[in-house]
Amino acid sequence: MFFTVFAVLFLAFSVAGIVCALLSPERGVALSLGCFGGVASVAMGAVGVCALISDTPFEVRLWSVPTVGPLMLSVDKLSGLFLLVSAFVFLATSIYSVEYLQAYLKHFNLRTLSVCYFAIMLAVGLVLSAADALTFLVSWELMSLFGYALVNYQKRDEQSTRPGYLMLVMGEAGFVAVVLAFLVIGGRGPGNLLFSSLRLHSASLGWHARWAVFLLSFFGFGVKTGLAPFNRWLPQAHPIAPANVSAVLSGVLLNLGIYGIIRVNADLTPLATAGPGLVVLLVGAFSALMGIMYANRDNDMKAMLANSSIENMGIITTALGAGLVFMTFHQPLLAGIAWIAAFYQMTNHSVYKSLLFFGAGAIDRNSGTRLMDRLGGLSKHMPLLAALFLAGALSICALPPTNGFVSEWLTLQCLLQSSVLASRSVKVLFALAGAGLALTAGLAVTCFVKAYAMTFLGIPRSNQARQRARVRFPIRLAMGLGAVSCLLLGVLPTYVIPILGRVSELLTGVNAAAALVPPFFNGAPGHSRLPHSFLSDFHNLGAQVGQNLLPAPGLVVLHRGHAQNPVVFAMSTSYMLPVLILLASTLFLAVRFVLARRSKTVRKPVWAGGLASLFPELTYTATGFSSPVRVTFNAVFHPQMSEERLELIAGHFRNSITRVVGEVHVFDRVLFQPLVNRASHIARTLSRMHHGRLNAYSAYVLGTLFVVLLLSRTQVEEHVVLSPALILIVALILDRLL
Amino acid sequence: MSRWVISGLRQGVVTTCYPTRMETAKGTSPGLPARLTPMADEFGQELVDVCPTGAIHFERGEARVDYGRCIHCFRCSRSARYVLEWESGFEWARFASDGSNFVKGAASWPKAFRKSMHIRVVDAGDCGACLNEVKQLNNPYYNMHRLGFFITPTPRKADILLVVGPVNDHTRLPLQAAYDAMPTPKLVMAVGACALSGGVFGPSFVTGTGVKDVLPVDIEVPGSPPPPLAILHGLLVAAGRKPPMPGQDGR
Repeated sequence: MFFTVFAVLFLAFSVAGIVCALLSPERGVALSLGCFGGVASVAMGAVGVCALISDTPFEVRLWSVPTVGPLMLSVDKLSGLFLLVSAFVFLATSIYSVEYLQAYLKHFNLRTLSVCYFAIMLAVGLVLSAADALTFLVSWELMSLFGYALVNYQKRDEQSTRPGYLMLVMGEAGFVAVVLAFLVIGGRGPGNLLFSSLRLHSASLGWHARWAVFLLSFFGFGVKTGLAPFNRWLPQAHPIAPANVSAVLSGVLLNLGIYGIIRVNADLTPLATAGPGLVVLLVGAFSALMGIMYANRDNDMKAMLANSSIENMGIITTALGAGLVFMTFHQPLLAGIAWIAAFYQMTNHSVYKSLLFFGAGAIDRNSGTRLMDRLGGLSKHMPLLAALFLAGALSICALPPTNGFVSEWLTLQCLLQSSVLASRSVKVLFALAGAGLALTAGLAVTCFVKAYAMTFLGIPRSNQARQRARVRFPIRLAMGLGAVSCLLLGVLPTYVIPILGRVSELLTGVNAAAALVPPFFNGAPGHSRLPHSFLSDFHNLGAQVGQNLLPAPGLVVLHRGHAQNPVVFAMSTSYMLPVLILLASTLFLAVRFVLARRSKTVRKPVWAGGLASLFPELTYTATGFSSPVRVTFNAVFHPQMSEERLELIAGHFRNSITRVVGEVHVFDRVLFQPLVNRASHIARTLSRMHHGRLNAYSAYVLGTLFVVLLLSRTQVEEHVVLSPALILIVALILDRLL
Repeated sequence: MSRWVISGLRQGVVTTCYPTRMETAKGTSPGLPARLTPMADEFGQELVDVCPTGAIHFERGEARVDYGRCIHCFRCSRSARYVLEWESGFEWARFASDGSNFVKGAASWPKAFRKSMHIRVVDAGDCGACLNEVKQLNNPYYNMHRLGFFITPTPRKADILLVVGPVNDHTRLPLQAAYDAMPTPKLVMAVGACALSGGVFGPSFVTGTGVKDVLPVDIEVPGSPPPPLAILHGLLVAAGRKPPMPGQDGR
């Protein structure tokens, strides 16, 4: 019953937002976007919460379309989680936009942005609640189009619209693949496109069809998720988009790709063999590694954050793939844990990435540049912004006790659980993926140390970075919301895991959360599930501390094994936080009052190599900081330097040396450029047929006809698929010729 | 790889035996004239005129050599009618007579550097000779690392400031900055006649009378340039591991 209320409220406030944006004066558009967007996203989140709490999905039967069948909306737990996460990002973004959009007031039409914003909100709601293929595809397409409109909002010239266009084109290619995937699932099928009937029907698919569905949907949704190698659009689209759009793009739209992959491959057509799951696993790990490498290289803050999004999506996909493989090996419990890790990582990524994009946007607006080489020293006049950005950076580095740590730790633990699997080659692949993720985690720390240090510490490297600016309340509120969520998600994992466990239970049928959070807090009935000796061991360690204060099974994340190995893995960020605070304060006090008791502090200027003052040029730059990574992975980045020397007087008097370092992205260099070259070569060869001689053209027609006749003579039932294709080719050739 | 191991083993230890035993090999030190020589007045006056840096003073029948000014040019041992005795050896380092932050050789002398000391070398208008000798300390023969002495690029990590050169106008501020950037306790060691007294350069229109014009000097190493072993002795004196040159009050 609450469902309907909140869903209608969401719809009403979104539409009201659109109307208000069109009617209100230009000055008030940002405020109306903030208010209506905020309330609508709260309603959206409430729908998600209701879905997560209730045991039955919320379903609305829409009208019936002839030849397609009935259309339906349904919000189950999976949709509920995604709705909740999206709602959080939309809420924070709406608040942030109130202040952020003031800079756009004079130069851009805010009405367009506002309308697109509410439209994309509606489209996201619709994608997540669609329960039939048609609604899903239509809303997906709407979401893509409005996403394009938002990314290309600040269009100035043709060059700056190219990345948005690339995003649209790649998204559409993915969309076509998704359509084909749905056609394969429901091809000869049930007569309607409801997910429920597709689910029933998919059991009868053969393995060819299953692979086709998997590959098509994984490609289609993977493009939107930003998985390698089809993610070239993402780091290009982010820098041209406004910061609030970037937050939505990274925090919401990328998640929808994950949603699609789960919906199709775990819900509609559950995988039968391990192969597809392994593909997901490896592509995820590869994306994560590539993403973080390029994030290390990029000095543009938003491009860096975009690449880091690719990395995070890669981690999520890896956990997802691990879950898929575990399912095919009939390990629903481990699959459940893997999916909890994936959902956790996804939630975290949405929270901290929107926070970081807000920070990048605020810096961009105040300093007029996003290049870390030109920033620096911002923490002096923006201390709060620096602290909030630091919270996001620590979380994304996966340092305990932040939320990133919990999810990455769970992901890596899941990958280690591959030892239970029977196949040796699968184990090796799991180990490879795990090694890739471990390297990724290390590089992520490098990347965000650079991002924070080069932007906020040191001395300003340009006049723009020296400008004093105030970060106003809405921006602080939006970022504070993210930072507090980061901490809460990190410190209270035992409250989050049961919620995520309900989602994974929907897919696996086993409650994995119960296996992850042992009931150390509960009384006798809860304890009866745990052996006495096990319990007393953990009581000695203090696992029951806080028993009477907090309503939860416990504060320890612990996966229990069998008798020989009672604890497979265990961790508690909740207890870690006070311990860390205690250790840090003890250390501080010890140094301050015991070790440094007899010494006194003298302040002298920074040593600048004997110069009167330190030039910005002398300090460590972002490029310099990432140099070790660039040198180590030189084979990937493969920079090419061209040097031009100008020598006017004599051969040995150089007037100027110009060095240009160019880099082609590894995917462009290895994959796309050769493909394009090959394709244009084939096209050139084929175009020799167009020489204008009528006789030859007649010969082509006759020849084709002959081949068709030949084929149709030996035709058997299986060639039914082939003949339309042939006819199409013939038609194309005829069309080309006549 | 095997070849350099074998050749290295065959070579044996080439490092000097100093400071365990006195180094007596030829050519390790140019030596200095005897500090105090009694003589007749006429010879003494002649010697004073021969010395190019005014290092020789003649009073009451005694010729005194101020090591802080001597550039061991050998003129007093070759051209004069009454030649000065030439002393070999290299343990010339001494505590500075005035301006030092610490009471020389007393219990208050910093004990922190006994085992190890990090050195920041500052070129304060040096001609290159003293710097070259400082550079030799890192080579296998002198090998100061074995004694726990290390050269550091930043004064923030340095314990002792090794200054070479007479401190001309352009190096005064950087020298002061380097000294300010050092953490306490810190020592200053002036190396070479120029750093001690201005040497052949000063006082002049661009230089003063050495490092003590700018900073409180703690250790002085005479010589122009002092041989590496003399500098090593200076470092050992600074660390409190060797006594300074006996009977030298700094003048």
